[in-house]
Amino acid sequence: MLTYILRRLLLMIPTLLGITALVFFVMAMSPGGIGGAALAAAGGNVRGAEAARIRAYYEKRYHINRPLIVQYGRWLNEISPIGWREDDEGNFTTFGFKSPSLGESMERHRPVGDLIAESLPITLLLNFITIPIIYAIGVWTGIRAARHRGGAFDSIFGFTQLAAWSMPTVWLGVMLITFLASNQYLHLFPAAGLTEMNASQMQFLPAHVAGHWSRGWLADVCWHLIMPVICLSFGASAFLTKLVRGSVLENLGADYARTARAKGVAENVVLYRHVFRNSLIALITVAAAILPSLLAGSVIIETIFSIPGMGQLGVEGARFQDREVILAVTLIGGIITLVSMLLRDIFYVLADPRVSYD
Amino acid sequence: MENRFGLKDLFLFLLVCGLIVLVLLQMKQYDRQWQVVQQVRNQVGDQTSDLARIRRMLEQGAISGPNLATTRQSNLDVDKRVRRIHSAADFAPGDDVVDVLLAPPDKLTPLINTDLYSMQIQGYVLDTLIDRDPVTLGWVPRLATDWKISPDGLTIDFNLRQGVTFSDGQPLTADDVVYTIQLTQDEKIEAPAKRVYLSKLKSCEKTGDYSVRFVFKEPYYMAFEVVGGTQVMSKKFYSRYTPQQFNESTGLLIGSGPYRMADPTDWKPEPGRPIELVRNERYWGEPGGPNRLTWRIIALPAARMTALRNGEIDMFYHPAPDQFDVVKNDPELSKRYNTFAIDTLDGGYYYIGWNEKRHGKPTYFADVRVRRAMTMLIDRQRVIRDIIRGYATIATGPFNPLSPQSDPSVKPLPYDPEQAQKLLAEAGFTRKNNALFGPDGKQFTFEFMYPSTSDTSKRVATFIVDAMAQAGIVVRPAPTEWTVLLQRQKERDLDALFAGWGGGAVEDDPQQIFSSSAIAGVGDNYVQYSNPKVDAAIEAARSTVDEAKRMEIWHEIHRMLHEDQPYTFMLTDKELDAVDKRFKGVEPTKFGIVTLKNEWYVPRSMQKYHD
Repeated sequence: MLTYILRRLLLMIPTLLGITALVFFVMAMSPGGIGGAALAAAGGNVRGAEAARIRAYYEKRYHINRPLIVQYGRWLNEISPIGWREDDEGNFTTFGFKSPSLGESMERHRPVGDLIAESLPITLLLNFITIPIIYAIGVWTGIRAARHRGGAFDSIFGFTQLAAWSMPTVWLGVMLITFLASNQYLHLFPAAGLTEMNASQMQFLPAHVAGHWSRGWLADVCWHLIMPVICLSFGASAFLTKLVRGSVLENLGADYARTARAKGVAENVVLYRHVFRNSLIALITVAAAILPSLLAGSVIIETIFSIPGMGQLGVEGARFQDREVILAVTLIGGIITLVSMLLRDIFYVLADPRVSYD
Repeated sequence: MENRFGLKDLFLFLLVCGLIVLVLLQMKQYDRQWQVVQQVRNQVGDQTSDLARIRRMLEQGAISGPNLATTRQSNLDVDKRVRRIHSAADFAPGDDVVDVLLAPPDKLTPLINTDLYSMQIQGYVLDTLIDRDPVTLGWVPRLATDWKISPDGLTIDFNLRQGVTFSDGQPLTADDVVYTIQLTQDEKIEAPAKRVYLSKLKSCEKTGDYSVRFVFKEPYYMAFEVVGGTQVMSKKFYSRYTPQQFNESTGLLIGSGPYRMADPTDWKPEPGRPIELVRNERYWGEPGGPNRLTWRIIALPAARMTALRNGEIDMFYHPAPDQFDVVKNDPELSKRYNTFAIDTLDGGYYYIGWNEKRHGKPTYFADVRVRRAMTMLIDRQRVIRDIIRGYATIATGPFNPLSPQSDPSVKPLPYDPEQAQKLLAEAGFTRKNNALFGPDGKQFTFEFMYPSTSDTSKRVATFIVDAMAQAGIVVRPAPTEWTVLLQRQKERDLDALFAGWGGGAVEDDPQQIFSSSAIAGVGDNYVQYSNPKVDAAIEAARSTVDEAKRMEIWHEIHRMLHEDQPYTFMLTDKELDAVDKRFKGVEPTKFGIVTLKNEWYVPRSMQKYHD
């Protein structure tokens, strides 16, 4: 097992190289080229010869005028912990260990590492709250619907979840804001952001201060996260319900389930011990796909609720053809996808004794 | 089957997860405390040095020298507007102004910031040597009490105000001005956009503790504005950082203006965290009215409207025209918010550029009669009424109508399709079966390019297609992605383009757009307009230092461009704002209102936020 995991981890390196190279060269050959829009916007209102001078400065600084293969090579050198060090002019000096870096954004002129450090936690937070919710709803309703197939619960939930799945997130988000966050209707939730304005003065936990209740920082953040999380989990939980229902139904009709019942095993035991366990395989398979898709899908949520995370960073990067940002987002997205695929394969072993990689 | 992952294991796993989450939360909480402690420490440090200074003064026998109250009294030549507004009977300091931004600025550190939002925020923190009066546009003293320009315009002397301190209590002297210029010119600092303006500056040196001299290499009409508008940075504060640290910083912001960052070293564009400035109690002029200026970040237009409705934000700068009308006409919102539609100098202009040469051959637009006819075929008043909801004015040239550069006698060409047809017939165009044919016998058709992301552009394009169809001209609308559009512009590979040039400057330099020297290479004269008279006039204006004479030349250029119509100048936007009615002293100026929040105040009984 350990050798298998090690082999898979090592295999990731060429895969990631392939992904980033593909992204890099496609971007470089698209109209505008690398940094196209980012550098065109540099200098704002400055025009003509002066704008050209500003552009030349940035081209030199970000080595855009070098051949493409050199640029890609430089980026690889930059992210690798072993490689050439650079001097102020960007020339290679000594070879050896160095601190890896993700470079600097051409549009925001800030280290990409910092940008990621600001946006990744938000995206991860959203997803780590959302995924358990999706699974809890999906598994519970799926099993229930399968057990009482054709019953009231199954048909009502089947219908509403189909409707939920078809609902565009953008529309749902805007509707939530206008109906649940506005004085005009119900003002239950905040319209935007991650914390209240005075959050830095709040206590951490809810507390009774100076005669009135203060909600505290933790509760405040949760309160702000409710609507985004609803939006994120809506569609995905409907999808999971359908999946669980299908796979549980299939296993309920299988021979081994009938045998178990014939042996006199209680129905609950048949369902949760035997059938559910066998239905897990399908759940694990989609789990590997859900995490990366949530990362990408959160861009809409991030825009609607003004909480800029990784999704927005990537979209902005693509819009400005910001080399370092796109490559960094691709790299991180690639790593997350590959790792979740590896986890999926490990979970197969845990769920199904028949699977073995040794 | 012994090592089965059972229910017990699941619980254990969840327990460990829970523990990890708790530890992380604990760390986060500790971090928050750390920030607060840091802030308190800074404040205590400030107060200690203040106390020490006061004690020293007391020991010297009497309080002499620049003390805060007398300084303010002696600086009556600045902040005259603020003083007038704050002398109202119901004036009371206090309350917050909560504004809203679409996106957080990337950096607040001066010189290396690039977006407009950060400049707006910096304007409250940093001070300039001189400033323009927002109504008369004349120069008024700020950090400089007086100045002298040599007759040849090459040497400019400034005398600095004494007793001004930065918000950390350090005095502002000539050293700081010289340091600011040196830092801007330092190639290691990532400030190329600020540096280009100083390319004609030869030297900047201090001639005394409170006087500086700037010398230019050649006469330059912007010279006084460029050096006078320098936002003075603290040498003591900024010289602590290496160029690398400075370039990578996001929020090193300290100045001598009416507001300050609570912690001048710490700001980071944290998602969801508003930007906050507090009143600078060491400010040397008339202190600002509100206690705090806050900017929240809300990206979605619908969410901004909701926040306005809930009173979570106090103002809404630049809403879309339809949102503005909602605020104006909604019975509940109009009771709570004042609305302003202001012509400002920040308004740039939208235009249709007619390319005169494509693939090496002159296009139909090379003929001035055709260009004039194009303008006359477009009912700009209707575009403004139907698409912008009336919140714009027709542009007549490249200069903002409020700027002294603009010749007020130039009136827009009328909407007159008949006259346009006559002009086209004169130019050799013939009309057959409702289609227009050029002098070369080909049908008159052109591609109308516009940025694909802009909704307004899309609607303008539809309008143009209709207007031209009535004259028998076939227009192919071409929504184009921004990078592709720039590429085509660079290659001069287009027929007509709808776009805008930004405003913001009182005096604008048309050389890069309309001079024939900007046709080749990187220039922005992508319509390839060339008129030797305009070229000569632009050259003359750029080297004329005398303002009155220069304005006459600009007026002449304005008239020539109007005659030639290299662009169809479409319209200039108004600034739209909604501001909570509790704010008094909100007076529209030629720079709009958002940069003047220090003038506003809230009468005591109406104040909403308290400390």
